[in-house]
Amino acid sequence: MSASSATAHAHDVHAGHHELGFVRTYIFSTDHKMIARQFLFMGLFMMVLGGLLALIVRWQLAWPETAVPGLGGILKETGGILEPSTYNMAFTMHATIMIFFVIMPILAGAFGNFCIPLMIGARDMAFPFLNMLSFWVTFSAGLIMLSGFFVEGGHAAAGWTSYAPLSAVPSYTGVNWGQNIWCISLFIMGVGSMMGSINYITTIINMRAPGMRLFRMPLVIWSLFITAILLLLALPVLTSGVAMLLFDRTLGTSWFRPSGGGEPLLWQHLFWYFGHPEVYILILPAMGIASEILPVFCRKPIFGYHAMAFSMIGIAFLSWIVYGHHMFVSGMSPALGMAFTVTTMIIAVPSAIKTFNWLGTMWGARIQFTVPMLNALAFVSMFVIGGLSGIFMASTPVDIYIQDTYFIVAHIHYVVFGGSIFGAFAAIYYWFPKMFGRMTNTALGHLHFWPTFVFFNLTFFPMHIIGVGGQMRRIYNPMQYEFLQHQQHWNVIITYSALALGVSQIPFVINFFWSLFAGKKAPLNPWNANTLEWTAPSPPPHLNWGATLPTVYRGPYEYSSPESRDDFLPQSTPPVGAAGARRH
Amino acid sequence: MLDWWLPENVSTYGREIDWLFHLIYYITGVTFILVFVTMLAFLVMYRDRPGRKARYTHGNTTLEIVWTVVPALILVILTLLSVPAWSKIKMTMPETDFVVQVTAKQFNWQVTYPGPDGKFGTADDKTLLDEMHVPVNKVVRVILKSQDVIHSFFVPNFRMKQDAVPGREIRQWFEATKPGKYEWPCAELCGFGHSGMRGWIYVHTPDEYGKWAAENLKAEAAAPATAEAKADDPKKEEKAKK
Amino acid sequence: MTTVTVERPRRANGHVPPPPPPTGGGDGPDREPGPRRPLLDNVRLAMLFLICGEVMFFGGLISAFLVLRVTAAQWPPPLQPRLPVGVTGVNTLVLLASSVAIAAASPALVQRDPGTLVRRLLLAGGLGAAFLLVQGYEWIRLVGYGLTVGSGAYGTTFYTVIGTHAAHVVAAVVWVGVTAWLAACGRFVDGQTGALRACAIYWHFVVALWPILYVAVYLV
Ligand code: HEA
Ligand code: HEA
Ligand code: CUA
Ligand SMILES: [Cu+2]
Repeated sequence: MSASSATAHAHDVHAGHHELGFVRTYIFSTDHKMIARQFLFMGLFMMVLGGLLALIVRWQLAWPETAVPGLGGILKETGGILEPSTYNMAFTMHATIMIFFVIMPILAGAFGNFCIPLMIGARDMAFPFLNMLSFWVTFSAGLIMLSGFFVEGGHAAAGWTSYAPLSAVPSYTGVNWGQNIWCISLFIMGVGSMMGSINYITTIINMRAPGMRLFRMPLVIWSLFITAILLLLALPVLTSGVAMLLFDRTLGTSWFRPSGGGEPLLWQHLFWYFGHPEVYILILPAMGIASEILPVFCRKPIFGYHAMAFSMIGIAFLSWIVYGHHMFVSGMSPALGMAFTVTTMIIAVPSAIKTFNWLGTMWGARIQFTVPMLNALAFVSMFVIGGLSGIFMASTPVDIYIQDTYFIVAHIHYVVFGGSIFGAFAAIYYWFPKMFGRMTNTALGHLHFWPTFVFFNLTFFPMHIIGVGGQMRRIYNPMQYEFLQHQQHWNVIITYSALALGVSQIPFVINFFWSLFAGKKAPLNPWNANTLEWTAPSPPPHLNWGATLPTVYRGPYEYSSPESRDDFLPQSTPPVGAAGARRH
Repeated sequence: MLDWWLPENVSTYGREIDWLFHLIYYITGVTFILVFVTMLAFLVMYRDRPGRKARYTHGNTTLEIVWTVVPALILVILTLLSVPAWSKIKMTMPETDFVVQVTAKQFNWQVTYPGPDGKFGTADDKTLLDEMHVPVNKVVRVILKSQDVIHSFFVPNFRMKQDAVPGREIRQWFEATKPGKYEWPCAELCGFGHSGMRGWIYVHTPDEYGKWAAENLKAEAAAPATAEAKADDPKKEEKAKK
Repeated sequence: MTTVTVERPRRANGHVPPPPPPTGGGDGPDREPGPRRPLLDNVRLAMLFLICGEVMFFGGLISAFLVLRVTAAQWPPPLQPRLPVGVTGVNTLVLLASSVAIAAASPALVQRDPGTLVRRLLLAGGLGAAFLLVQGYEWIRLVGYGLTVGSGAYGTTFYTVIGTHAAHVVAAVVWVGVTAWLAACGRFVDGQTGALRACAIYWHFVVALWPILYVAVYLV
């Protein structure tokens, strides 16, 4: 079952005849696979931090103003009880870390780096040195962000959206350097992501293996390609915004301060002009990952390949003209709000296409419930819930009521956790054998997946209910409001299951590290998949393939094809008989 | 399932919002059930069993067109249904003579009544902190301002929400349909005191409102707002609407 | 037999450059998946995308500037110094000239004339530096007249937008300086001209941006 005979030539590879030292191999490596691993470790480490911050938030919401276990040593003056300003800092940094330093590094950083060269049949990125630089720039941005926890006045506390003028004038929050560091870190992160995205785009356009036409690329490459374009065009807008914000705070400019002739809503326009494409940056790679994993474990071609690719392109285009749906009640012109309703409704259509095509892929399939498949299925189903809740908000009148309530918080988490994080888990389980050369443990995988799936829903579904009940987001203590007191028991339930959700990640951590060192050695192609990365050794050596690069003869999803005796037909297997049968 | 969870609605346009909410709730609910039932059915029917062979197909254009067009139509209809309510709530301003000015600041609502002369910015203005009194069944216009950061005027029972932006004056309206005392939180993060920035809106019957105004708004002329407004407090109890 | 085709000469720093891309994307017919020349090589493509990103960055700044400017009651605000339109106009020509100098550098490369190449690169860098000096001098005068970053939206937008462009010119001048130095050391004549072309593209971008800013900030 290892490799089909036609790909055997890829076996005996010993790349580069020179030995690189430890530092050049593991730290300042220019090898895309090593950089991918670095991004992955960074993202997972940050996820623990971001998750623990979420648990602190949850503790306060369930049992307001009681000491948070474990924080007694840190918040000495209060003995572990959160103060309102600390609470604001906790959710601000929770979201900032999760979005910029967990999901982006894992999905775009790690899997972008890992998949792109391997799946298009290139030896490395177009600019390996730039690639290394992009990791280290992002890494420094992460360190700088973390340093904000230690400065006088605490870290940024104006929400991950940092609405001006709250964020623009230190005295409004009492936060001084924290917010500056937030700006500086995101500025640097923007530079790093620009380097990465340029590299991705160039690589995908110019470095495809022979025969790898655009419409033979695996969908995950399509998704990363589009993500890179969005990154390239969206992040600089944030970069310019945080620069202006920083100048307002430190140099005394007045971009966003009305007292000097500035305009507070300007920040929101800039932020969401970046912010909405950003949320699709978070979801598109996960969509690609699901589109990659479903066919493999359905043993069936993806349903509607072209529609899948074009719907992602459609999402990318539309994502630029919907951003105003975050500002329906911000004081922006209501006529504009109306226009944004129209576009927001339209953007649900490509997502509908994708959802139904995933279902179509399952139709008549032969479904194997492996751990990556379970996570991919969780992605599909949870993304649907998150997307459907988006329709409520897209309707302007309804959004008047639910804006800034927990209904939004529920939406956020269904799309980012249910979507992106399940996508990330699926990708980790799926590519782990290739990435580290060892299989993960299936039992531990199930032990991770099922509790995560159950407690995820128990944590975030009730947020819809309390949101409809009117509970605002970003409040420190719901018990201060009489109309919220009757639903406080939900907050307690949510917190219990959030704690359980945290504990459910422990099997994952164990599985990851145990498999890293002691997992079963991975064969070349453990899932019998078609794409090119499975023709390289596990883990692939420097420069990925031996003397010759694989040649591509067909699309990536030829499962159960009548052309082949096996139920899979790798992209690089030459056609039998008449050469060059055109198919995908 | 969520129906009974919405706080009681006591405003005129709240009904439209709730109606839309329920409509979307049913549409998405049905979509959700369809997707999930199909998915679960597929997962069970097409699970890997010995001897099963997967169907080799790359798609079906007719099906794909159907499931593009149907959701698109549903969404277009939803948009068309949303537009009238939105323009009623945010884009039109019903005639009224009852105007209050609300200035948000960290972390209070300052409510200013124009006083007997009916003008803001004069000496007889009366400012209350964190409470607003209005008569029932009367269109109330709110001039919303902020002194420092962005706050958000949120009255769950009125289904009303509007950000207050420093440097701007935003005009809003509501009409309460039931007397009572309604909580009035701030819904936009505005600093460490955001949680707990909260006021109350008292909706009075016209009689009670007249009494309250007479006592609290320096009641020489016994009028909360303009001269015409005077007329509808004691007298035109029922239909004081224009 | 399995030797990898990647043993390429080491550079002085011991870094082995990655092999050139075997193909330029595989949109050719299946039967002979031979190498094809890409439409644009990696360097030019990457620079193109870098410029796209930069355009969005400046797009953010300029649109923010326009918003403040359009919503302001009066622009420029009364009692604020006027911007030096004339001097800056001449300065614009200086900057445009530098682009010509860069453009003139590539024929020198074709003629394998490193001396001329270096001279033209240095000329461009010098013109860029002159532009910066004049700008800096004007800034000092404006600050003297009382226009600072703190003086409301007018000062804010002026210094931020123009200063951001100036920072880009600084970067471009440094880059051109390094490139000239590399050229003087004999690089590029062997055909490895990627770094040189990247630098030139960036220079043209920075120069082309300026007239837009000049019109938006100084003239209109
Ligand atoms: C991964 C991230 C992600 C994704 C993919 C989405 C997807 C969508 N989002 Fe979401 N959104 C966020 C992340 C994301 N969002 C975040 C983080 C915020 C909060 C930011 C903050 O304020 O902090 C937010 C906030 C947010 C708001 C602002 C709410 C407010 O503050 O008032 C709105 C309003 O319209 C919205 C809408 C949508 C819509 C319509 C989609 C659509 O793309 C969804 C499309 C998908 C489907 C609809 C499901 C599948 C389709 C079918 C099964 C077909 C049939 C369907 C129908 C016929 C209806 N989102
Ligand atoms: C991008 C991704 C992302 C992810 C993954 C999460 C994950 C979680 N979020 Fe997040 N959240 C956001 C993005 C995200 N969130 C955003 C954008 C906001 C808006 C912020 C704003 O308003 O500005 C928000 C806001 C937000 C709020 C609202 C705060 C408020 O408005 O006052 C809450 C409250 O419950 C919350 C909870 C959680 C929980 C319980 C998780 C859990 O899923 C976390 C579970 C994970 C872990 C716990 C880590 C794993 C731990 C280990 C492996 C170690 C072992 C653990 C233990 C020993 C317990 N989040
Ligand atoms: Cu005021 Cu929140
Ligand atoms: Cu959005």
